Amino acid sequence: MLALLFILFAGMAIGCGLAVVAQRNPLYSAISLVGVFISLACLYVTLAAPFIAAVQVIVYAGAIMVLVVFVIMLLNVEQEERGRNRLKFLVPTAVVLAGVLIAEVAFILFSVNNPTPAVSNIGLTGSIGTQLFTRYLLPFEITSILLLMAIVGAMTLARRGGLLSNEARVIPGAQQLPRSLVDPRAAPDDLRLVDTDSTGEAARLLGIDQRNTQKD
Amino acid sequence: MDTAIDIALKFAAITVAFVVVLLVVAYTVLAERRVLGFIQGRLGPNRVGYGGVLQPFADLLKFILKEDIVPDKSTRFIYFLAPVIATMAALMTMIVYPFGPEIRIPFTSITIPLVVTHFDIGLLYVLGITSIGVYGIMLAGWSSNNKYSLMGGLRSSAQMISYELALGLSLIGVIMLAGTLDLAQIVDLQSGWHGTRWFILFQPLGFVLYMISAIAETNRVPFDLPEAETELVAGFHTEYSAMKFALFFLAEYINMFTVSMLATTLFLGGWNVPFIDMFLVRGTLLFGLVSALGFLVKVIFFLFMYIWIRGTLPRFRFDQLMNFGWKFLLPLALLNIFLTATIIYFFPNL
Amino acid sequence: MEPQLSWYLALSAVLFTIGVTGVIIKRNVIAMFMCIELMLNAVNLTFVAFASFFQDVIGQLFVFIVMTVAAAEAAVGLGIIIAIFRNRESLDVDEASILRL
Repeated sequence: MLALLFILFAGMAIGCGLAVVAQRNPLYSAISLVGVFISLACLYVTLAAPFIAAVQVIVYAGAIMVLVVFVIMLLNVEQEERGRNRLKFLVPTAVVLAGVLIAEVAFILFSVNNPTPAVSNIGLTGSIGTQLFTRYLLPFEITSILLLMAIVGAMTLARRGGLLSNEARVIPGAQQLPRSLVDPRAAPDDLRLVDTDSTGEAARLLGIDQRNTQKD
Repeated sequence: MDTAIDIALKFAAITVAFVVVLLVVAYTVLAERRVLGFIQGRLGPNRVGYGGVLQPFADLLKFILKEDIVPDKSTRFIYFLAPVIATMAALMTMIVYPFGPEIRIPFTSITIPLVVTHFDIGLLYVLGITSIGVYGIMLAGWSSNNKYSLMGGLRSSAQMISYELALGLSLIGVIMLAGTLDLAQIVDLQSGWHGTRWFILFQPLGFVLYMISAIAETNRVPFDLPEAETELVAGFHTEYSAMKFALFFLAEYINMFTVSMLATTLFLGGWNVPFIDMFLVRGTLLFGLVSALGFLVKVIFFLFMYIWIRGTLPRFRFDQLMNFGWKFLLPLALLNIFLTATIIYFFPNL
Repeated sequence: MEPQLSWYLALSAVLFTIGVTGVIIKRNVIAMFMCIELMLNAVNLTFVAFASFFQDVIGQLFVFIVMTVAAAEAAVGLGIIIAIFRNRESLDVDEASILRL
């Protein structure tokens, strides 16, 4: 019964894994990867690791892949075309070398000493939590600092410089500007108006260099 | 492993839960239209059947018989997959909620627990499946090949993943009080003392945070900008018609029902009815039925609150919504965890 | 018969190899990133299998840490990918192999 479950979930994992590599549309690859994660979570449940299975679904399938699908949709990534200037034998070479790698690893693995699996309760939330907070506290705290670094890094990378793009030009003449564009400390929906009397004053308030404006 | 009879019993339990859920959801749709009508000074649908009680079946017939339109340039596979993911994720959480205590069938010695299955990570399972439900909405928005759908889908999924954090963190106070993730055990811990051990009394801030995050998580007013008619046509389900739209609709109401059941189980004591111990003996069939009825009453109370809020409040703008979730709810949830931990450390009385 | 430890290790090796093949073959940088995640998951499976068969919880704790690191890497990596896309207007690694715009 357990062997049947293993074969089912392993087949699903390998099938979805092959789909990740073989699909040319990156959105289909992402959905197949979610399939891999869910089948691996089911395998973890059969391995007496229910907490890790739940965390895998929540973190990997529910957060990381949502982020990847977001990026695919935002950047409107298209399908891969056939390569123009790449090694002609790249794909067959990769498959042959993959086969060699699997053969080597299989030779090592099937000479391993198989221990008997006992029904265990080491994977319960309580036991993981106890170990995580007493004996392995230092890696836990370092991981939280790592996450903080990742948050700061991601925010820095994704920030655009300033409120206006490099191509912005000022409309000539006296005008009224919304306060959210002029004052960096104002709320983004602050639409109170700031009166300007000339083009130069508007350009100065917006931070647009007028010499570049007059060149084009 | 289990014998064939156990597997058959499990299937029967799943079928019963499924039927109960569908019936409650169908009548929630009707109740929403009528209650909203009363709030807005009009009658809701009351023609079909006596007072409108056959309206859900009329709606079902309409959905089945409508023409199924598929947009021309959409990605076919994802277009068909999205409502399936949304509905599956909504339905898969049904199996961990305890509907009642163990009941003993009279004249036999069979005890059946009124919960489909017993997970020791029940609460984490619910949070995980809710995270999977985001995919249905995102893929629906993308595959419709329509800019309103895409905007609606992206906004809706951004809102859902933001409020998932506040949802999970607001539940950590309850988990700390209960010491377990198993929903049936959490309900058992709240029994006795006639309702003074319900977790809502120990976690008022957590309860309020949970309700707000839950309304945001299920895309309901005041957080339903991504699917409001005046804003984005119909958001991510603009291009869906007939049965696929019915699946999205169903998924939204089942999510509402799920979230209400979770609130009842964690904060209002699940199937514990106060003062019932004075009249009935634990473990009998009547006790079980009255407890299940009490559970249903509490869930209906939460569903009524949902409808009431829909009829009363205006909706948030999207940046106000995200501001609220990240800059207000999340620090409050962390404060709640900190306070709960401090109080548990100094007064280990529960 | 019950699934043996070598079965789980074999599955993990196959998944890892599929991930390596994907990194070599794919031209789209997001698809390469997804194949790297596949490799990380294969290693996670090895850890959990050993933790279960040798009754030591350290394997599962390590999987927890690996998942956290993968989440951090995903956030920063996708930020880098978006920055690359803004500068080059294309997500092709073969075209980005020369480090000039």
